Amino acid sequence: MDFVNLLQRKFIDYSSSLHREGIVDDQFTQLRKLEDENSPHFVMEVASLFFEDCEKLINNMAIALEQKQGVDFKQIDECIHQLKGSSSSIGAMRVKNACIAFRSFSDGQNREGCLRCLQQLSHEYSLLKNKLQTLFRVSVASRCLYVCLVIFCRGNEHAEPFPDVLVFQLEKEIVAAGGSIPRVH
Amino acid sequence: MSTASLITTWKVRDVVPVPDQFPTSLRVLVVDDDPTCLIFLEKMLRNCSYDVTKCNRAETALLKLRENRNGFDIVISDVHMPDMDGFKLLEHIGLEMDLPVIMMSADDGKDVVMKGVTHGACDYLIKPVRIEALKNIWQHVVRKRKNEWKDLEQSGSVEEGDRQPKQSEDADYSSS
Repeated sequence: MDFVNLLQRKFIDYSSSLHREGIVDDQFTQLRKLEDENSPHFVMEVASLFFEDCEKLINNMAIALEQKQGVDFKQIDECIHQLKGSSSSIGAMRVKNACIAFRSFSDGQNREGCLRCLQQLSHEYSLLKNKLQTLFRVSVASRCLYVCLVIFCRGNEHAEPFPDVLVFQLEKEIVAAGGSIPRVH
Repeated sequence: MSTASLITTWKVRDVVPVPDQFPTSLRVLVVDDDPTCLIFLEKMLRNCSYDVTKCNRAETALLKLRENRNGFDIVISDVHMPDMDGFKLLEHIGLEMDLPVIMMSADDGKDVVMKGVTHGACDYLIKPVRIEALKNIWQHVVRKRKNEWKDLEQSGSVEEGDRQPKQSEDADYSSS
């Protein structure tokens, strides 16, 4: 169990570092609080939706800024507004702040300024995505390892018994995360 | 029997139910074109034990409301949406269904908030919306229904003619 505790501690430390670096803010904590037995992967689901949406909006803005005949700043403004809303909902603080800075250049119809902001925004988004994906991997790994140990102990008559309900729930989580359950006879 | 005396014989409260308890299964329609915000709001509302329907388009929301006029108690809508402005949706709902509508936006500018209030929104929430703000949205439903009963009762006592108007606990009528 020591290794499981180690992984769980790693998860907590990594999560704290995301807050310290300003990658996420208190809103991310609120999001994690919404996770329960009915939706144990809620944060991952919301994050995936956000990544998809963010990539689409960044792409749209890049295309809009490349237009030779004239930049549609109204479209840029709408993209920034939407991204500001979704990043603040998920607690992606640095992405949200990048949107706020971007807004002022878009309002001023400053194409060069907008291009620089878009670059900064892409950078913040990539950073967030990497960090969150790492966080999710550590979370899933510790859960999987815990269940493997549980199943191993079930096969070992000298080990403490685990409640079947708990094992069943954890097995469901592994399968939902894309893993498979080793069967011990 | 004249219509006037018919009106005074039954009390409004006998016909329209008064929710004196916390209405846990409030039916909420939430409208937002941002998928991240929509799923986040849906989860928070479900955690408040509300019955949630989500929509990512204002037109779809209006369709659902028209198809099922008594199917929802309250609407929560984003301001900036691609197909229809949130204020336009607010106007339609006010005219057709008269449901309480809460507007929300990442935009916290005073002029936008004012626009929400003047267009008839019962509340305006700034994103990111917190679960604490959603827990109490039932108050808007109760308040609206209470105002509707007051209007009905008032129109009932006006029809009576010579009788003195009753002194009620909240005698401050906004309209005469």
